[in-house]
Formats: sequence, structure tokens, C-alpha cells
Amino acid sequence: MRISLVLVCLLASGALADESVRIDTGERVPQTTAVPKYPEKAIRDRIEGEVEVCFNVNRSGKPTRIAVRRSSHRLFERPSIRAVRESSYEPLPDDIALSGIKTCRTFRFFLDPVAIEDPTEID
Amino acid sequence: MILSLLLLSAVATADESKTVLGSNNQALKEGADALQFGDAEEGIRLTLLGLRRANTARERQTAHSNLCAGYVLVEQYQDALVSCNKVLAENESHWRARSNRALVYIKLKDYERAEADLAIAETISPQSRSVRGVRRMLLDAVNPVAPNVVIDERRQPAHSNEN
Repeated sequence: MRISLVLVCLLASGALADESVRIDTGERVPQTTAVPKYPEKAIRDRIEGEVEVCFNVNRSGKPTRIAVRRSSHRLFERPSIRAVRESSYEPLPDDIALSGIKTCRTFRFFLDPVAIEDPTEID
Repeated sequence: MILSLLLLSAVATADESKTVLGSNNQALKEGADALQFGDAEEGIRLTLLGLRRANTARERQTAHSNLCAGYVLVEQYQDALVSCNKVLAENESHWRARSNRALVYIKLKDYERAEADLAIAETISPQSRSVRGVRRMLLDAVNPVAPNVVIDERRQPAHSNEN
């Protein structure tokens, strides 16, 4: 009786181990990463800045609940949100449970000075 | 592009009553209209006619300012400079002529003088779309830039209440 009880317990624990569900650690693999378009007005007015956008990634790899968390200039918010919306991650396998871990992307918009050579000028 | 930046005094009468031209100088008015529609040669011809008929200092200044704009359109920058100089010799706070002359200086690659004129025009009329357009042209000439975006990504645990 005692042996059979132990056996039942062992079998039960083994069964549980086989059926345990792995949890998504948040390390989702990006599939496509869209880069935001630098707003024309910001280029013309020489505005630089950054935006942090946070979101969840659903099972199929699509960003959801997209929200701006921090922004230095409103001009950059819309292109940043659009870039996140157009990005995707690899789908989560069925044996992994979806976690509530948020992903945050910081987009830094900056203007590189460029040197343009005048072809009519001779050094 | 250039046409939209040039400031034509007669055209700007709607939002600034002090620059309203009387109907007694029809040539000046028609010259401004021609310039506004991009017909620079006809605009210059009519404005020169209007200048000969100018009765007041304001009409004369308007004519010279519009001639400055017209000469920019036909890329006669030295002539444009002469016309703008005539306005500013009479009225140094004529911001349209300042802005137009700044544009002439940009075309002549005299960026220091362009900056000086533009700074004055911005002080007098900071909200003018044309003045801001000339500022952008000057920035593109002296400070060309290439836009860039860098992306950083990190994960944030679900229990965080920061968001």
C-alpha cells in the first residue's frame, strides 16, 4: 500500500513535469524592425530629440498596447508609434505562456552634420 | 520654391493694412500680381512702370522691394541687390526687403550678410512664413545635415508601475 502510494506520487509528479508550461521571459526575437521617418519639419527646423515607446508583444508577434512613455518633442511621437506598429517579432511557440513583460524602444532622432564639397572650388 | 519665399509688398496687403496700395498705381499692383504668378519678366516690366508713376515713399519702396524679388526670380542677383538696397536706404526696418536681400545674399553665397539681414527680419516679423523659409535655406547652405535615427530596445517586467 505504502509502495503503491509512493509510486502514484512519483507518477503524478512526472506527469506534472511533462505538462509544465514554460513562461515567456520577454526575450522575443524581432522579425522586422521599422525605422521611423525623420519628420521633414524637424529637419528643416534642425530639431533633434528622442521618444521612448513601450508595448506588449502578443503571441503572433504583433506589438499591442503601444504607448509613448517619454518624449522630448511631439513631432517625433507619431513616426515612432508608426514604426513600432509596423514592426514585428517571431511568433511565440504554443508551449510557452505569454508573459506581461513590456518591451520599450527608444528612438533617438539626430542630425548628422554633413560636409558638402563645392565642385567649383579648388583646394 | 524661391517664389514662395519672396515677399511681394502689394500681395501682402491683405494682412497688413499699412502696406495697402491705392488703385492709383495700377501698374504696381499688376506687377505684383504677375510676380506672384511667376511671370517675372512681365512683373519687372510693370513694376518699373509703377515705379515711374510712384507718388509716395511707400509706393517707391514697394516698387523697389518687388523689383528685388523679380530680379531674384530671373537670377539677376546684382540687380536684385541694388533694388533691395534702395528700399533699405530709405527704410531700414522694411522687413520684406531685408528678407529678400537675405535671399539674394544666400544666392551670392555671402552667408554672413544673409545672416545679418535675416536676423533683423526675424526681429521685426518673427512669424512670417517667408522669413522662416529663408532661414531654412540659410541653414541648409551653412549647416547641411543628414537625418539619422538610432533604436535602443529593452524589456520591462510586468510588475513595474512606471508605465
